Amino acid sequence: MKTLEVQKIRKSFGAFVAVDDVSFTVDESCVFGIIGPNGAGKTTTLRMVMNIIAPDAGTVAILGNTERSRSADLIGYLPEERGLYRKMKVGDLLTFMMDLKAMPRRESRKAIDIWLQRLDITEWKHKKIEELSKGMQQKVQFLGTIMHKPRLLILDEPFGGLDPINVNVIKEIMLELKKEGTSIIFSTHVMESAEKLCDEIFLINKGRQLLYGKLGEIKKSYGSENVLIEFEGSDEFLKTSQQIKKFDNYGNYVEAQLVKNADPQQLLREAMQNNAIRRFEIKSPSLNDIFIEAVNNSNSGRSES
Amino acid sequence: MKWKIFAIIKREFITRAKTKGFIIGTLLFPLLLIFIFAGIFIFSALVKPSSRTYYVIDQTGIVYNEFVRMLPDTLKNGDLKYRFIDKTIAPEELDARLAEFQKQVFNKEIYGYLVIPADLLESREVRFSARNVSDFDELSEFERALSRIVTNHRLEQMGLSASEIREQFDQGHVNLVSSQVTATGEVQKSAGASFILTYILAYILLILTMVYGQILMRSVIEEKSQRITETILSSISPMQLLGGKIIGICLLGMTQLFIVGLMLLALVAYGETLLVGFGVNIGELLEIMREINFSATIFGFMLYYFIIGFVFFAGLFAAVGAIVNSEDEGQQFQMPLIIIIMIGYFMVFTVTKNPDTSSAFWISMIPFYTPLLMFARIAVSDPVLPSGAYLSIFTMLGFTALTIWISSRIYRVGILMYGKKPSLKEAVRWIRYK
Repeated sequence: MKTLEVQKIRKSFGAFVAVDDVSFTVDESCVFGIIGPNGAGKTTTLRMVMNIIAPDAGTVAILGNTERSRSADLIGYLPEERGLYRKMKVGDLLTFMMDLKAMPRRESRKAIDIWLQRLDITEWKHKKIEELSKGMQQKVQFLGTIMHKPRLLILDEPFGGLDPINVNVIKEIMLELKKEGTSIIFSTHVMESAEKLCDEIFLINKGRQLLYGKLGEIKKSYGSENVLIEFEGSDEFLKTSQQIKKFDNYGNYVEAQLVKNADPQQLLREAMQNNAIRRFEIKSPSLNDIFIEAVNNSNSGRSES
Repeated sequence: MKWKIFAIIKREFITRAKTKGFIIGTLLFPLLLIFIFAGIFIFSALVKPSSRTYYVIDQTGIVYNEFVRMLPDTLKNGDLKYRFIDKTIAPEELDARLAEFQKQVFNKEIYGYLVIPADLLESREVRFSARNVSDFDELSEFERALSRIVTNHRLEQMGLSASEIREQFDQGHVNLVSSQVTATGEVQKSAGASFILTYILAYILLILTMVYGQILMRSVIEEKSQRITETILSSISPMQLLGGKIIGICLLGMTQLFIVGLMLLALVAYGETLLVGFGVNIGELLEIMREINFSATIFGFMLYYFIIGFVFFAGLFAAVGAIVNSEDEGQQFQMPLIIIIMIGYFMVFTVTKNPDTSSAFWISMIPFYTPLLMFARIAVSDPVLPSGAYLSIFTMLGFTALTIWISSRIYRVGILMYGKKPSLKEAVRWIRYK
């Protein structure tokens, strides 16, 4: 059974169509990235998945269940706009959040101790939220999202405002949950982290689907390949090679974009003729490149029509 | 899962009940009330005790002695309340001497002076000048004494004996012994006591409704401005969140009402001993306190109107909280609500004077005013119930359900809208959103 099935959901606010005919499914143990520029409809989509707002049309099923109030306990949600009750103590607040997920008190007490210990923040338990730094608050909120072992975890920009060490702590926990079968929907506009973590990608712009599929397949189907060459000698071969569409010489290395259906091996042979090759790497286009190209294409396509 | 609402109720109740503000407020609130109401009596008792000196320029030559005899009041410390000094002045010197007296008044050597003209019996006008002429009691006392002197003289001129006539008047005086007719017979009751009781209770009701309405509003604004709402809505519906908040804060208010009620009961039971113990010995106040009768019906209605009134206004305050983005905006937006509630308080006076008129009935059926005014009518008519008392229980339920429905539709949309404050028209449009 699919963890999440979204079918043709649509939401408009007055005349503005925020989400238009969006469908996707998320498998068990899948990290699913929803990416898109600011204002593309990511948060509205997630809010509909969360049943915080009702879609104008379409359905959302979680573990096959469209009766949404029953599935709320199976979800953990870290919204992009996040905050906590400033006057509450960390322990009380986490207990409250687990109460809302219908976790029995006995279990939630145990879970709080275990998780605070794991993140090495046991001493925060009796501190008020307002005494913590922004990043610390975010860690507490993240705990409040995962402690009830959700089947579907929705994280909207989870790494914003965190230092690299804490980003790694959270990534580690995400991957651990994934191993245990949790599906993770992960919304971001930081392409590097999406590229590292996601199995599948859904690119949304202006409320509509632009790209959707497995990350590897999207990369394969999208754009041409790039080659990265580090060498000693003349760059004459770059100018003459039939394989190269254009190249950028960065001094230490050259990045070349190949023509369609090019043979990179042929290029390597040409390069080796007069130069000492230190590095020759075939790169598939980065998610960043795909993102920019897809969004630009769709924007210009739309404005022309 | 309906019971998740308990998590919200518990959080709203416990986090607030534990604050110092609530604990201090609960203990101080009854004291403050007592202070306000007792303060009026105590203050008036404290302010009086200086005796005032007046010059009496009696150009008739006959009024002064009688006038002084009629105003023999003494203060608590035994001093005379008024000290009158007879000044005989020739008419041609009058203006010059008055200028001198005015200086003395201004320099606080004397309090004022009276000029009684030679033709007093005909002109019936006495010039009264003083540093302050706003003391009603004093003015009417002087006026009464002078009128009596003039009346006596005029009667004697007609050949009648003033003292005999006065005696007849006194013997003919009739006392009204007031009783209220109830279903079970007649009850003796003083107007003063039931007015004061009504005012105290209506005041408590008003303050609690406003204070707790605002607590709810601030609570909604906190969740919105701190961006907490969305996290919570991932677990429960907006209706459950709003319902939990209203119930939690209402319970908090009832806790406070209960404690205040107990303290007032204790005050009625032991207040006399307490006040006397503090050295406050004001006959009027003690008299009134002795006459205050709390009936169970009043408490029952008070509890009902607090709950229903709170829920009614809570819905509106919650809607305001959901529309605005910050506490400052909330303060502005709530002003119309506060004004509406305050108008009700001002009408308490009119309604308690004539609780049985049809206008009192209709005003107290307006949902904004039912909790306060219907309660005031009930309290002042106690133990008889005024017209519409039972009816209002149901109309209020209906209106409250309607208000909560409308407010919750606005709330549901508003709590997720950050940024620009919507116009009233937009907020109304939210009601129709799916």
